[in-house]
Formats: sequence, structure tokens, C-alpha cells
Amino acid sequence: MLLYLLWLLPLFGGVLLWAFGPQLKSWAGPIGAALIGVAFVATVVLWNDATAPGGLHAGLVTWLPGWSFGLQLDRLSLIWSLIITGVGFLIHVYSIGYMDGDRAFARFFAYMNFFVFAMMTLVLSDNVIGLLVGWGLVGLASYFLIGFWFEKPSAVAAARKAFVMNVVGDVGIMFAVFMIVARIQSIGYADIFAHFQQAFSPTALFLVCLGLFIGCAAKSAQIPLHTWLPDAMEGPTPVSALIHAATMVTAGVYLIARFAPLWSASADARELVGAIGGLTAIAGAILGCAQWDIKRILAYSTMSQIGYMIMGVGIGAYDAGVFHFFTHAFFKAQLFLAAGIVIHALADEQDVRRMGGLWKQMPFAFVAMLVGVLAISGVPGLSGFFSKDAVIYGALESGHPWLYAVGLVTAGITAYYMFRLLFVTFFGAYRGNVDQSDLGIRHPELAGTAASTGHRSDEEEPHHHAPAWLMSVPVGILIVPTIAIGWLDAWPGAPWRQFFAGFFPRVNEAAVAAPFSETISTVLVFVVVVAGFAIAYVRYGAPAALRDAIARLRTETVRMPAVLVNAYYFDAAYDALLVRPARVLGGWFDRFVDPHVIDAGVREVAITSQWLGHLFRSFQTGLVRAYALSIAFGVLCIVAYYAYAFAFTGSGR
Amino acid sequence: MIAFWILALLMIASAVFTVSAKKPVYSVIGLLANFVCLAGMYLELQAEFLAVIQIVVYSGAILILFVFVIALLSSGVRPFDVGPDRAPRILIPAAIVASLTLIAITVTALRTPQAIVRTPVGVTGDANAFGSVADFGVALFTTNLLPFEVTAFILMVAVIGVVLIAGDDDAVTGSRRKPRRPGKRESIVKDTVSR
Amino acid sequence: MSVAPDYYVILSAVLFSIGVVGVIARRNPLIMLMSIELLFNAANLALVTYARAWTNNAGHVFAFLVITVAAAEAAIGLAIVAVTFRRMPFVDVDEVSALKG
Repeated sequence: MLLYLLWLLPLFGGVLLWAFGPQLKSWAGPIGAALIGVAFVATVVLWNDATAPGGLHAGLVTWLPGWSFGLQLDRLSLIWSLIITGVGFLIHVYSIGYMDGDRAFARFFAYMNFFVFAMMTLVLSDNVIGLLVGWGLVGLASYFLIGFWFEKPSAVAAARKAFVMNVVGDVGIMFAVFMIVARIQSIGYADIFAHFQQAFSPTALFLVCLGLFIGCAAKSAQIPLHTWLPDAMEGPTPVSALIHAATMVTAGVYLIARFAPLWSASADARELVGAIGGLTAIAGAILGCAQWDIKRILAYSTMSQIGYMIMGVGIGAYDAGVFHFFTHAFFKAQLFLAAGIVIHALADEQDVRRMGGLWKQMPFAFVAMLVGVLAISGVPGLSGFFSKDAVIYGALESGHPWLYAVGLVTAGITAYYMFRLLFVTFFGAYRGNVDQSDLGIRHPELAGTAASTGHRSDEEEPHHHAPAWLMSVPVGILIVPTIAIGWLDAWPGAPWRQFFAGFFPRVNEAAVAAPFSETISTVLVFVVVVAGFAIAYVRYGAPAALRDAIARLRTETVRMPAVLVNAYYFDAAYDALLVRPARVLGGWFDRFVDPHVIDAGVREVAITSQWLGHLFRSFQTGLVRAYALSIAFGVLCIVAYYAYAFAFTGSGR
Repeated sequence: MIAFWILALLMIASAVFTVSAKKPVYSVIGLLANFVCLAGMYLELQAEFLAVIQIVVYSGAILILFVFVIALLSSGVRPFDVGPDRAPRILIPAAIVASLTLIAITVTALRTPQAIVRTPVGVTGDANAFGSVADFGVALFTTNLLPFEVTAFILMVAVIGVVLIAGDDDAVTGSRRKPRRPGKRESIVKDTVSR
Repeated sequence: MSVAPDYYVILSAVLFSIGVVGVIARRNPLIMLMSIELLFNAANLALVTYARAWTNNAGHVFAFLVITVAAAEAAIGLAIVAVTFRRMPFVDVDEVSALKG
């Protein structure tokens, strides 16, 4: 019963706020947040049922044999539900402050509640169809929220891009679902996991995994379907925190963890997904070093971190990957919300080159950001340290030394770009009043900076006002798990490992003996992280660097390699390979097919009927006698038929 | 037997005269002769009641109606007659269709096996009283009551139609003498007709 | 029945054909209507013939109904003729061609 409530409350909130938003006015935010809070409480209350063997199950409807739809809350769904409703609740509260004064205040919360409902559908479904429905709905909610400020053409374009790329992924999942339904004749997870060994050959199993992974790649911004995520930062910052950092983009991790039995059975799928995850991790991290937009840095960081998670679950280290999701949801949400405080205070300025020295004005945001940076960089003792180490060492344990190396290097790069962000934003002198050309910013709109628009009401002060308590309290709460949550997995036999003990199937391969122990690995990671920090400090944080920060930033801006500025030319490649051929094809259809085939066909129909009309018109002489002749001819035909039937065959009767 | 051939020849002759007469009045005379001969034919076929009806209704009522109309149309100052048909081109296809129909029916009648033609499909009533008024009346008012009623209805509709058409001068053109408000629809009808 | 029904039927067919020619070939509407009466009577003759041949008076009833309908047809046709040609200088169905497409 409570499970239904947990599932439907956000939907109720979404419909309520959507329908009665104008009447509710400023109450829309508190109501939306409260509903998510209730859902969180419900999730916590359900803890014992969910952790029972087999989890909690609630049927909905049975359509055909093998097609029964229902909800289930097991340990995996529980983790996700806690994050979605818990972090979701904090972000809702934060949004009340952040979105205050926006024209579409109620619509924002309606969409947010709808998103929570969609995400709960995704994780609570006990069958692949429900999963697919949730998968599509979160994409829709993401589309709504990226394009929330639809007066901005860039936001609309970003929303459309995200939606289209997500649909590519949906097609992959649909392909996998079709194969599953065709072979197994059932949509329930339990049936699938019980029968897939007999139903699929290794090749077919790999194809199913590939289809699922295409969906993951699109939703979780894995190469090569990642290009929508940086653009998705056009949405409001709480949206970026909730959807594009903490929950929706990690749906791919959930999917792979959910289908862990399939992954464990397919070595090819593990190799592919692990490689893609590692590639995304390092590629996203490198791009993070080249960005100037605070939210884009965080977006590429998210992409990189999800690369870690996908790598973890892809190679079979499921609990490590899911743990990294768990910690990442906290520290990345906190980073985004802290960035949101900065952006909010600076009247929508997002370019870090035009910030600087903010720690004095915004000590709270600085502390929050600092804790987040320390956590994501993997400083020992904070949450990111434990989860990232687990993923990286998992790669070594499963016999992927190359992925281990990639993870190691990425950890260093992560530390570098996150401290770069911190130093440039909060240290040195404030550069908001420096001329843009002095910083090397030639075309703000081309440099990836979201141009600030007038979506906020004008009476608001443009500069440096302290964050409302509604915004700082959620961030303050998030600091606690960001620091402490990692200890859940700090030692062998820690709560986290017990929680998932026996939940995920083991990979059917002989365990490869790791060349060195986890302790050595941890030390290695720490050394790399310190190296990354040191480079960032020398380049951005040292007193010498801070003194001539403006000149250094200008030099770096001007000398930034084009390949990084253009994000490895993925967008250009898509443009050249897909968009332009499509345009050419469209032009060809416009010039040839449409006028000469379609229009011509319609015209021919018209001409033919006109011609027929002329033909029949000639029969309509208006002469009664001609009509009489026609009738007489008809009589002759009838008589002739009877003459034939009676006189020549004798069978008329 | 002889009566049949005489009547048949008279009927054909009168029919040809009816169709080919120059003036409608002559046609009426030919048609009258034809109908009277047909009544004789009915008597030959033991259809006494129909013979009487033929004389009373056709010769007495319908042909008189024709004569009235001829008189009505001839009463004007302008010449009434069409004049001689100018060798109408349509005569040839008409003749071809008519003669083909004739051939088809004749062939059918002659070639259909006599066993079929002469086999009664069901004798009704008293064979001795066949064709009498009593026999006919029973058939009309019992077995065939519904067609009779329907015919009565058709006649009533026809009477109303005649009154409507002939009663209003402008019924054919679809307009009234004093249109209350000349609507779009009416003007369209008028245009179409006048064109 | 002294004469075979075939001859009656052939006579009926002859009358019918003459009527057809009259309807199609004549331009005088009155003569056309009279030709139509000829057609009716030709059909009636066939009906009565078969009624006699099979001793089934349904043919008589049908002939009676045809006469009735013929009366109605004649009345309406003549009414149309009277109204139509009241204003025309001459009587010619070819001049009434409002149905021309």
C-alpha cells in the first residue's frame, strides 16, 4: 500500500501543481517539496520490507500471460529510491529559494514532481515494459526542464538535442526489450533472469546487452551519445543537480546493475561497457579542464564520474559502481547547489573567468564547494575517496589493467580540474568588472557561456545578496553525507558490502589475482590526486598565479587547443555525418520528390478526375431522349442476359 | 385463333400509327384502337376483369387526360406543333436497340423448352372461375393486400404531386412570384435553370 | 388456350419495341408519353399471358397494379408537360435540357 503511495504521490503533486499552479502561487514550492519529503519518509519506512529476501512486491495489473505489471522494491531499487526522494527533497527545498520570483514558479515544481514520478516508475517497475515507460518519461521530464526557460533559443535547442539523443537510446532499449519478449515470452525481471540462459545464445545475449547499453549511453551521457549533457546545463541549476547529476543520468548505471545477471553472463558486453565507461571517464575529465562555464565544468565532471560508474558496473564490480553512484549523488548535488548559490548571487553569471575572490563574500558557498571538491577528488576520508577507489581497484581485480590505468589517470585529472574550478572561482581578486577582452573572452555566446537573460523579474538586486536559508540549509545538510557516507564501505565487511552481499551474481570467470593489494592501489590513487592538486595549485592557486590571474586566464583562453574547445568535434562530426546529409536529403525531397512525386500524384488524381468528369459530362446531354436510349440499352442488356440464360443454357430457373 | 391474329395485326398497326403520327391527336386515336384490341386480347386470355379495367381506366380516363392536355396546349395563340421530325439521328440507334430487344425476347420465347413454359408454378383459386371478378378480388385483397395498399399510397402521392406541379406556375423554375427574402440558395437554383 | 403463349409474348415484344422507338425517336412529349403507355401495355400483355398459361392470377393482380401506376405516371407526366410548355413557343423535349452537364 505504501509502495503505491510512494509511487503515485509525486504524480499527484505534478498534476496538482500543473493544474492549480496559478491558484497555489508561492505555495506550489512548499507543496511540491513536502510531497517528495513524504515519499522519502515512505521509502525509509519501507526499508525493512525492501531488505527482506526477495524484496517488496506489489502487483498492478496482468494483461496477458507473462505480461503482468507490478512494482517491486528490492535493495537496488531502495538505494535509488532513497537518493531520488531524499536528495530530490533537498533540491526541491533549495529550489523554493532558487526559483523564487520566477514567472513559472509552479510549473517548475510540477515538472520536478513529474520527474520524480517518472524516475520512481523507472526504478520501481518489476518488468521491462514499465522500465521502458519510466525511461521514456524521465527523458520527457528532462526535456521539459532543460527547456524550462523556453524564451531562450539555446535552452530550447539543448532540450531538443537531449530529447533526440535520448530517443536514440530508447530505440536501443526497445530493441533489447523486443528480443527479450520474443524469446522469453515474459516481461518480468524474475522470469527473464530465470530463463535467459536457455533463451539466448551468447551472440543474442550480447545483442540484448548492446541494446540495453545503447540506452545507457544515451541516458548516462557515455561516448558517443554524451553531447547533450553539457548543453543540458541550460536548464535551471536545481534541475542540473537533480536530473543531470544525481539521478536521471545515473539511470544507465541502474539499468546495468538491474540486468547484472545478463552482464555477468556476457563477457563481450562487460569488455565493451567497461571500455566505453573508461573512455568516457578520461575524455570527460580532459574536457572538464578546458571549460570556463562553471556548470559545464560540473557537467563534464558528471560525465566523467558516470564513466567511472558505468565502468564499475560494466566490468562486474556492481556494488562498487552503485556505491560510486550513491556517493556521487550527494557530492555532485552539493557541488551543483553550491554553484547555484554563486550563480544566483552573481545574477546568472556562469563564467568562472569573471568570478574570483568570492570566498570572502560567500564563505558558505565556498565551504560547500570546497567539501564537494575534496570529495570528488578523492581526498582520503571523504565519500568520493572510498567509492572511486573501489571502482578503480575493481577494474584491476576483474583483470582489466588498462582500465585501471585509465581510472588512475582520470582521478588525477579530476583533482586538477576541480581544484582549478575552486581556485579560479573563489581565490584571487574579483574579476566581474574586468573588461571581457582582457580575459580573452571574444564571443561570450560561443565560449559556451550561457548568456544571462531576463527570465528573472527585474526588481531583484543584481549583485551579491546572501543566499536565503532555503538554499543554504539543503546544502548544509548535504555536506554531512558528502563527508561521511563513504565510511559505509571503508573496510572489508563494511555495511555496504553486507547490504549487497549475494545480491549481484558473481561473474562466471575465475578471479584474476590482482598484482597488488587495495592498500597499494589507494596509495597510488592518492599520489596521483596530489599531483593533480599540485598542478592546479601552481597554475591557479599559488600567490604568483593569483597576482597576474587576468593575464594568465587570457593566455589560457587564447591558447586553448581547438580540439578541446570543440569537445573533440563530436558535435561537428554529428553535424557532418547526420545533420547535413539529412538536410541535403531533405532539400532533395523538397526540390524533387515533393513537387514531382507527391504533388504530381495529387495533381494527377485531380487531373484524372477532371478528365473523367469531362468524359461523363458528355453523356449528360440534357436530352431526355438520349437518357431514354440509355435506359433502353440497359433493358436490352437485361433481356439479353435472360435470353442467354433461358434459351441457350436452359438453366434460368 | 383467328381472333388472335386479327387482333395482333390490328395492335401492331395501331401501335405503329401511334408512334409515327404527325399530330398528337392522331396518336391518341391510334392508342385508343390499340387499347381496345388489348382488351379483346385480355378476354381471349380469360382476364375478364382486366379487360373491363383496360377499357374504363385506360381508354376512358388516361386517354381523355391526354386529349385534355392537347386541347390545353393548343389553345394558345402560338402554333402548337413541333413540325416534322428532321430525320433524327437518334432514330438509328433507337431502332437497333429496339430490334435487338425484340430478337432477344423472340429467341427466348421460342427456344425456351415448352416443358418449362407450360408447367404451372401453382394454380390459385378455382380453375373454372379463373379470371373472374370474384377470383381476382380474392387474390387482390388477401394474398396481394400489401402491394395493393402501397399502390394506393403511390396514387395519393401522385395526386399531391400533380396538384403541386400544375397548381403553381413557377413550380418548375423553383421560384415563387414574391420571394420573401431571396436567399443564396434560391438564386443559385434560378441561375442554374436560366443557364 | 388455343394459341401458344409464345405468340402472345412475341406480340408483346413487338409492341414493346415499337414503344421504345417511339420514346426515343419522337420529340413531342405527348407522343413520348403515349409510347410509354404502349410499353406498359406490352408488359401487361406478357403478364396476363403467363397468368393464363400457369393459371395463376398473380399476373392479373400485377397487371392491375401496373395500370394504376401507369395512370399516376400519365397524370404527373402530363402535368409536367403542361407546366413546362405553357411558356415555350413550341413543344419539343430537346429544348428542355436543364440537366445538361
